[in-house]
Amino acid sequence: MTTAQSLAAVAPAEANVARRADHPFRLRTMVVVGVRMMFHDRLKLAGTLFGVIFAVVLTNQQLGVFLGLLDKNSMFIDHAGADIWIAPPATKTLQAGKPVPMAALYEARTTPGVAWAEPLIFSGATVSLPGGGSEPVTLVGTKSPAWRGGPWNLVAGSVDALRRPDTMIFEDSQRDILGGLNVGSVREVSRRRIVVGGFTWGLLPFGPSYAFADYDLARELTGTPVDETSFVLVGVSPGADRDVVAHALQARVGDNQVFTAAEFRSRVLTYILANTGIGVTTGTSTAFGLIVGLVIVGLAMFSAVVDNIREFGTLKALGCRNRDLAVLLLTQSAVYALLGSTIGLGMISFVADRVRSPNFALVLPWQAYAATPVVMATLCGLASLLALVRVRNVEPAMVFR
Amino acid sequence: MIDTENGSRVVDVRGLTKVYGSGALAFEALKDVDFHADRGEFVMLSGPSGSGKTTLLSILGCVLSPTDGHVVLFGRDVSNATEDVLPALRLDLIGFVFQGFNLIASLTVRDNVAFVLQLRGWQPRAARTEADKLLADVGIGDKGDALPRDLSGGQRQRVAIARAIAGNPPLLLADEPTANLDGHTGLQVTELLKNLARAHGSTVIVVTHDNRIFHVADRIVHIEDGRVSA
Repeated sequence: MTTAQSLAAVAPAEANVARRADHPFRLRTMVVVGVRMMFHDRLKLAGTLFGVIFAVVLTNQQLGVFLGLLDKNSMFIDHAGADIWIAPPATKTLQAGKPVPMAALYEARTTPGVAWAEPLIFSGATVSLPGGGSEPVTLVGTKSPAWRGGPWNLVAGSVDALRRPDTMIFEDSQRDILGGLNVGSVREVSRRRIVVGGFTWGLLPFGPSYAFADYDLARELTGTPVDETSFVLVGVSPGADRDVVAHALQARVGDNQVFTAAEFRSRVLTYILANTGIGVTTGTSTAFGLIVGLVIVGLAMFSAVVDNIREFGTLKALGCRNRDLAVLLLTQSAVYALLGSTIGLGMISFVADRVRSPNFALVLPWQAYAATPVVMATLCGLASLLALVRVRNVEPAMVFR
Repeated sequence: MIDTENGSRVVDVRGLTKVYGSGALAFEALKDVDFHADRGEFVMLSGPSGSGKTTLLSILGCVLSPTDGHVVLFGRDVSNATEDVLPALRLDLIGFVFQGFNLIASLTVRDNVAFVLQLRGWQPRAARTEADKLLADVGIGDKGDALPRDLSGGQRQRVAIARAIAGNPPLLLADEPTANLDGHTGLQVTELLKNLARAHGSTVIVVTHDNRIFHVADRIVHIEDGRVSA
């Protein structure tokens, strides 16, 4: 095929300005050139990627710690298995406060749409240590046979151990702190002799670890009167609307508060965010990570343009428009974002897996994995603006100098 | 529309003036220059350094705007054309050969040539096939996969020529194409440029002060102190 025939076959035959539409090959060409330019200068590629990875790792690490802390504060609500909670008046967090009268439990059990209702003891207790001294635990008392409210995540023993007299289940990670506990060990809890019946794993809230007991044992250990309880857990019948049921319950339980599980979780977390420095601290660190990443990527991309300014001038002289060069730079931003996100998320996932323990966990939900490339693409796009301005000002006549 | 098929006058410049800077620092690089080139002509612009020949070439290449005067390419006055249309004009009408080759370092030799064709609307595969053919035409058909850094100066300039003639632009502009080459290679490259341009029916304007290649030209235009003197 001659050149003329090739032209006739694949390109408009006439050379004129009007036919210069935005054909797809033009876009593809700029994308390919942008990627090739990126990978040609490996050092600059590494430097720019470092910026993106730094931002990805720092922001996700901060986010993971933040969510891990929130998770510690909401894990009980998430695992209790209740659709609705009846809590004492003015409840802001999951802590023992003014008791709920047992009348609320009976009201709940007779409310339409309620499948079940169980009392829950949730209170502080102390474990005396063999060598003297004591350690606090958060004592949770639940009712057999359903054991609504736990325990869960058992690594030794079984829930049914709680049926045995004076038996409790403790947190595995606290065994040493509680004086070298094993199944069958005996400890004094709130001045009563208790046998260790099993261990949970990871049930370590922001405060003292959870320790589980049968409801009646827990009531006796905490001195809770028979006509009172800490919370009432409610399950909604299949097909019933939990908001409607919650509304009906609220009308029956007087000053006590009724929350759906989601509302209670939100209330607890909102209180923590508003009354502790967690939100501000992690938010500042996250913003810091994004800003540093933005600066590194911005400067690296600008520097890449300056280093290759003659090539950009040549591209303009050969017929590239500013928008073609914008496509080139935005392609580079997108690739930096994608590569940096992939590597950064891989690193943070690896670290999260290695550091996970009952005391500390980086919680990274799928939304973080999905949002990171989008956030980084936005960040890199912003970072490329400086380079875009520089490219826009490149005079094609420079190629003759 | 620019008619590149009819009429023998490809470039027609009248009263061209270019002033750099302003006020007391103003420098008049071109002074009331008249110039023309006809279809298929091989014209050399010669003159000492700073005479204004590269400025004239830049204006003809639509990469620099004139201060005054008229530049008509293929019957269209482009003197006041804006950046909205200039890139398309350059892409459609003009092939460039630069003194420093100006190849894209990250692209292979083949892709340096195919790139321009793809900008012009060629499918990537057809563009690469055509690029291979053009590289064979300039005598480096076996270098398609090489990067520019792996080539000698003469080979790079051959790639630049292949890129310039890719897509058959009707006007080729070359700025000191032999400046970085030895005498023998410089002459070879110039003759190659002329032969290929003739085969493609392109008009060529070469800026040079290399008197070893003057005999290749159909016509030599001398510029001195911003004026055409002969």
